[in-house]
Amino acid sequence: MIRVTHLMIIRTLSPPFPTVCESIMISAIEQIGRVTLRTSSSVGSTLSFAARVFLRMFERRSYNSASRMVLINQIYFTSVQILPLFLFVAVIFGAMVNGMVFQLIKKIGQTDYLGRLLMGFVVMEISPFVTVLLIALRSSSAINAEIAVMKVNRELSTLEIFNIDLIDYLFVPRVLNGILSMVFLSSLFSLVVLSIGLFVSSVIFGTSVDAYIDTLLRSASLLDMIIVWFKCAAFGFFITLIPIILGMNASQELTSIPVAVLNGMVKVFSAIIIIEVLSSIVRFI
Amino acid sequence: MQKIELKVGLFVTITLLLIMASIGYVAYKKDMFSKVYTYTLSSKTGENLTEGMPVVFWGFNIGRVSSLELIDQGVLIQIKIPERHNRVIRSNSKFVLDKPLFGASRIVVETDNLNAPPLSPKTVSEISVSNDINEMIKRALPIVDKADRIMANVEQVTEKLADPGGDVNRILKNTETVTANLADPKGDVNRILKNAEALTARFAKKESVLEMAVGNTESVKSVHEALANVRDITVRIDKILAKADSITGKTGEEIYGPDGVLPLVRDILRDLVAKLTKIDTTLDNINKVSAEAVDSTKDLKVLRSELDAAITAIGNLAEELNRKIPFKAKPEIKLP
Repeated sequence: MIRVTHLMIIRTLSPPFPTVCESIMISAIEQIGRVTLRTSSSVGSTLSFAARVFLRMFERRSYNSASRMVLINQIYFTSVQILPLFLFVAVIFGAMVNGMVFQLIKKIGQTDYLGRLLMGFVVMEISPFVTVLLIALRSSSAINAEIAVMKVNRELSTLEIFNIDLIDYLFVPRVLNGILSMVFLSSLFSLVVLSIGLFVSSVIFGTSVDAYIDTLLRSASLLDMIIVWFKCAAFGFFITLIPIILGMNASQELTSIPVAVLNGMVKVFSAIIIIEVLSSIVRFI
Repeated sequence: MQKIELKVGLFVTITLLLIMASIGYVAYKKDMFSKVYTYTLSSKTGENLTEGMPVVFWGFNIGRVSSLELIDQGVLIQIKIPERHNRVIRSNSKFVLDKPLFGASRIVVETDNLNAPPLSPKTVSEISVSNDINEMIKRALPIVDKADRIMANVEQVTEKLADPGGDVNRILKNTETVTANLADPKGDVNRILKNAEALTARFAKKESVLEMAVGNTESVKSVHEALANVRDITVRIDKILAKADSITGKTGEEIYGPDGVLPLVRDILRDLVAKLTKIDTTLDNINKVSAEAVDSTKDLKVLRSELDAAITAIGNLAEELNRKIPFKAKPEIKLP
C-alpha cells in the first residue's frame, strides 16, 4: 500500500512521457536549425566576401604600386621559393605514377588507353590535387596565421584608420597570387610528369618521342585543359580566401590565432574536396 | 626587392611561355589552324552515332563528327576533315558506320580510287552500317550448332556409361574377364603359356631338327641307312673306275674303237652321272627334308625306292661291265 502511494507521488511530480519525447525532438530540430542557419550564414558571408574580392580583382584601382608589390612578394613566397622542392616532388611523383601506370598498362595490354590515362588521370586530377595540397599546406596556413596575427595586433584596424582598403591592399594580391600560382605550378607539374612519362615510356616500352606525343595528343582536348585551368583557379581562389576570412574572424586574444588557423585549414580542405567533386561533375556530365 | 621582382618575372614568363607553347602545339596538331572541310552524310537511324566520334581511313583518324541533326528522312551527320586529310574524300568514297564488338563506334571511309574527283561538300552520301556483333553472331551460330551436337553425343556416351548393359560396360566387363583369366593360374592364357613351355622343352630334348620334323627315330634311322648305302655305292663306283682305268691302259683299241669298251663305258658313265645327279637331287631333298622339317614319310619311301632303283641299276652296270671286260675268261655256255 505504501509502495503504491510512492509511485503515485512520483508520477504526479514527473512530467508525462509523451511530453519528454516531444521536448527532446523539439530541441534536436532546433539544434539542426541552428547549425543550418549558422552554416548557411557562414557560407553566405563567405560567398559574399568572395564575390566582393572577385569583383575587386577586375578593378584597375586595386592594382596600385603597393598592391603590386604585395602581389610580387606573394608570388615569390608562394611559387618561386617553393619551386625547387616543388620540382623535386614533381619528378619523384611523376616517376612513381608513370611507373605504376605504364606497368599496369603493360600488364593488362591496353596500351591504347595510355594517353587517356595520363591525360585524364595525371594531368586532369593528380597534378592540380598535389599542387593545391602543397600550396595549402605552405601558403594557406601562412596567410591564415598572418591575417589572424594582424587582427590580434589591431593592424587591420590601423590600416582601416589610415583609410587603406584591406581588400585592395591585403586580400586581392593574395587571392590573385593563389590563382596564378595554382595555374602556373599545376601546369609545370603536368609538364614535368609528362616529360618523366616520356622517359619511362622509352625505357619500358621503347616508344619513340613522336609516338608518345601522338598518344598524348589523341587524348588531349583543349576543353579539358580549359576545365583544368578553371579548376586550378578555383582552388587558388578559395585556398587563399578562406584563410583570410578565418584569420579575420580571430578575436583580440593571442589564443584565438591557432584556433583560427585550425578552423581555416579544415575549411580549406573541405573546399578542396568540394571543388574536386564539382569539377568531376562538370567534366563527366 | 629588385632581385625578387626578377625572379618572379622569370618564373611567370617561363611558365607562361611553356603553357602557351603546349597549347599552341596541341592546337597545331589538332589542326585548329588549318582549313577544315565539312561533308554531310545521312543515315536512317542515329543509333551508335555521337558527336565527336572519329572518322577513320585505313585505321587513321582523319576527322570527326561535328554535329548530328534529326530530319524527316533520318539523321544528317556532318563530319569535319582537315585539309591535309581531305585528299582521301573522293566522289567514290563510301562511308561505313563500324560498330566493333569492343570499343567505340566510328565512321570508316573506304575510297577505292584516290585519283577520282573530290567529293562535293554539297553531296549527301548515305552511310552504311557494319555490325561486328551481328557478324560475330552469324559466325558463331554454326559453332553453336556443332557444340550442341557434341553435347548430344557426350550425353549419349554418358548415358551408355551409366547403363549397366551398355557397350562401354560390356567392354569393361570383358576386359575384367580377360584380366581375371590372366591372373588365374589355371586360366586359358596360362595354359597356353605352359604348353608353349612344354613344347620348347620337347624341342630341347630332340637330337636333331630332322627328328623334330619327322617325329620318330625309325624314319631318321632309315634316312641314315640310305645315306650309308649311297656312300658304299660311291666307293664301289670308285673301284670300278679304277679297274676301268687299268683296262684302258692294256686294251687301247678295244677300248677306243668304235665298238670298243670306251663308248660303252661312256654311255654307262653318262647313265651313272644321270643316276648320281638323281642321287644328288635325292640328297638335296634329304637335306631339304632335314632343313625344312618335312614330316612326310612318303617322300622318304620314294627316296628309298629311287635309291633302290639306283643301286639295282648300278649293280646291273657292274654286272654288264664284268661281262664285257675282255681279259676276263669268256663265259662258257654249257650245253645241256
